[in-house]
Amino acid sequence: MKDILMGNDAIALALIHANVDMISGYPGTPSSEILGNFQKFKDKFGVDAYAQWATNEKVGFEVAYAGAIAGRTTCATMKQVGLNVASDALMSASYIGLKGAMLLIVADDPGFHSSQTEQDSRSFAKFAKIPVLDPATPDEAYNMVKLGIEISKKFETVTMLRPVMRVCHAREICEVDEKLDFNPQKGEFKREIKRWAAVPPAGRFRQGLEQFERIEAIKEYNWNELIEPKIKKLQGAKTLCLTSGTGNGYVIEALEEMKIEADVLKLDMPYPLPKEKIEALFVNYEQVIVFEETYPCIEEQLSSPKLHGKLTNDVHKIDEFTKDKVLAAFSNVGLIEKNQFYKSAKYADELPVRPPNLCPGCPHRDVYYSVMKVFKKKKSIYPSDIGCYTLGLNQGAIDTVLCMGGSISMASGFSIADPSKTVVATLGDSTFMHSGVSPLINAVYQNHKFVLLILDNSTTAMTGRQKTPERINPSKIDIKKIVEGCGVECHEYEYTPNVDKTIDFMKFLKTKYENATGPVVAVIREFCILDKERAPEKLPQVFAEVDEDKCVECDICTTLYKCPPMNYNENHKIEIDPFLCIGCSACLDDVCPTDAFIKVEK
Amino acid sequence: MKYQVVIAGIGGQGAVFLVKVLSIAASLKDQKCLGTENHGMSQRGGSVSCYVKVGDFHSPAIDEGQADLLIALEGNEGLRNIQYLEKTKGTIIVNADSKFPKIEYKTIKIDAFSKARNKEFPIQALNVYMLGITLARDPNFPFSLNDIEKAIKQMNAKMAAKNIEVLHQAIEDARNI
Ligand code: SF4
Ligand code: SF4
Repeated sequence: MKDILMGNDAIALALIHANVDMISGYPGTPSSEILGNFQKFKDKFGVDAYAQWATNEKVGFEVAYAGAIAGRTTCATMKQVGLNVASDALMSASYIGLKGAMLLIVADDPGFHSSQTEQDSRSFAKFAKIPVLDPATPDEAYNMVKLGIEISKKFETVTMLRPVMRVCHAREICEVDEKLDFNPQKGEFKREIKRWAAVPPAGRFRQGLEQFERIEAIKEYNWNELIEPKIKKLQGAKTLCLTSGTGNGYVIEALEEMKIEADVLKLDMPYPLPKEKIEALFVNYEQVIVFEETYPCIEEQLSSPKLHGKLTNDVHKIDEFTKDKVLAAFSNVGLIEKNQFYKSAKYADELPVRPPNLCPGCPHRDVYYSVMKVFKKKKSIYPSDIGCYTLGLNQGAIDTVLCMGGSISMASGFSIADPSKTVVATLGDSTFMHSGVSPLINAVYQNHKFVLLILDNSTTAMTGRQKTPERINPSKIDIKKIVEGCGVECHEYEYTPNVDKTIDFMKFLKTKYENATGPVVAVIREFCILDKERAPEKLPQVFAEVDEDKCVECDICTTLYKCPPMNYNENHKIEIDPFLCIGCSACLDDVCPTDAFIKVEK
Repeated sequence: MKYQVVIAGIGGQGAVFLVKVLSIAASLKDQKCLGTENHGMSQRGGSVSCYVKVGDFHSPAIDEGQADLLIALEGNEGLRNIQYLEKTKGTIIVNADSKFPKIEYKTIKIDAFSKARNKEFPIQALNVYMLGITLARDPNFPFSLNDIEKAIKQMNAKMAAKNIEVLHQAIEDARNI
């Protein structure tokens, strides 16, 4: 049956068609819709499956992995940096193996569209010694989910599917199963202490040997099932292109459109590769070029003087593919003359940049504005974290961004290293649950003095508003209680769109800080503007406009506050774009020193 | 047939909706279709560019100098993506006022913001409005009004009537450009 699906829809549907009945993970662009869509399909088809967001990727991985040890068919989803968090579990799971099946889906983001690194999870799979499949399009991702589950079952190993953003968020007409025949495995944990609780050195040494054998067997499989059937189709050109995932599409289109002759061999499973057998193919070619995103994962597994790629400086090393980059590689190896076919002039004049910004009316904006009013920049350090609120950068209210939960530990570090400054750390509720608790305990027991603001909008806003633990189960999980349980008082502030009040609360925290001997922690109860359940009742629907006579072009609102509707017009006066203003009324209070923002009278 | 469309705009203007409509329209005509949407950061008012490639393609991205059509939901975002247009036959359909500069591409310009401000159509339907202008003014556009109407209905039956009304109004307005 044909269906138009986005990559993440196709993956979610395939998981159900592959009888996955336990799935966990943590949201992160571009992976987030996989679990979300699985939940939707699950409800739509009425299948009985466990599908829940975990507090972080490691937790999600471990839940799914235990399921697979107990014989179920499971899946964990995350983005590439999430795998860093789950890696501790993965490295050992790769030694131990499993009984049912487990597909680990890790979405990569070549080109840094919404990630802090461009790391290649295929290379991570290589490091962890687990097989990895690299789909090129949504349709292929659908099929590779099933293949991955099959491989996992056959070889009793966690198997990775590595779609990139251009697969997750691509849309394609896919060929999918007509009928749903959901038939999951029953879980039954079979005690096997030597395996599931193998201890070093002897137990793990033995499993290490098994791991080598397993990888050798998967190499065989890779050759027999995935590579050899394609070899007959090679045309006998002088150049061979080895491709992986999306790289394949760019190469094929460039060859077709430019009428260049070369053979293309797509490696569906870029690790583990049957090195000798692939290298034996090279005798028939003058040169071999590897096209892969983003690290030289395939290239590092092969060796030949004919081999060209990132390591030989013939293929670009950072950023996404384009066909122009493919042509550049072709010309670097002498296959074609330099060719500018896929180049075209950009618009010559400078265009105003449009960086992402906090939504109009987002409570984070007021918090950052108030922080800077009370904890002056010169005397403060502002570590922050990963989430929508990272966009407080636009207001100059953030000094460092490292990784999930890093704000709190870094606040500790800064408070030790530069005690003359007040450290004001910010992180969101989801990030706090993810990895904020252990650094807070660390700070409390060692008496690190800083201010920590937990911006609680009870949703993982950045990735599409997945519900957070305290939202789903408020009677049991409360941030205030968690903070108190870590051994420190938790101040609480209910946000209202009244900047004066938020500033007063920051002043209150400042007095607390002055007398404190350890961290001063506050939870700010916010809401997300896009949260249809909560935002409407919180928004006063009081819209702003500008009294042009009062605006003195001081730039305060466009630098420190930065609500998207505020821009200078041709008269050099601020104007509020009525299409963007959502009527939160916040700017009517403190923001303009000459009170130029006034209420729109309807 | 091969036809490549870049849709440029600002987060929140509904570029992704157009990707969906065009890919449904392609499937209804039994055409292959590959596109990419922009999610994540771009939802926060940042620049957005989406691609739709109708026909036999393998990669989801569009390269410079290749697009047959650039639908720009906002003027500067159109200019920011102008290098994607094919130099001789590419068309830009742009929502911009009289300040939009002269460029060396076939340009169809309409000030949709001012029409929305005059309450001629709801701003939320800007994407559909610009699609209507495209239907009326791009002779190479591979879909008919009927194809697009069907696709809009298939996408969201409840909202379809309103969207189709805007589509028709845009086609009407396009006569006066
Ligand atoms: S999505 Fe929500 S939390 Fe994120 S910027 Fe918008 S209002 Fe703020
Ligand atoms: S009322 Fe002011 S602060 Fe609120 S959304 Fe409108 S312009 Fe922004």
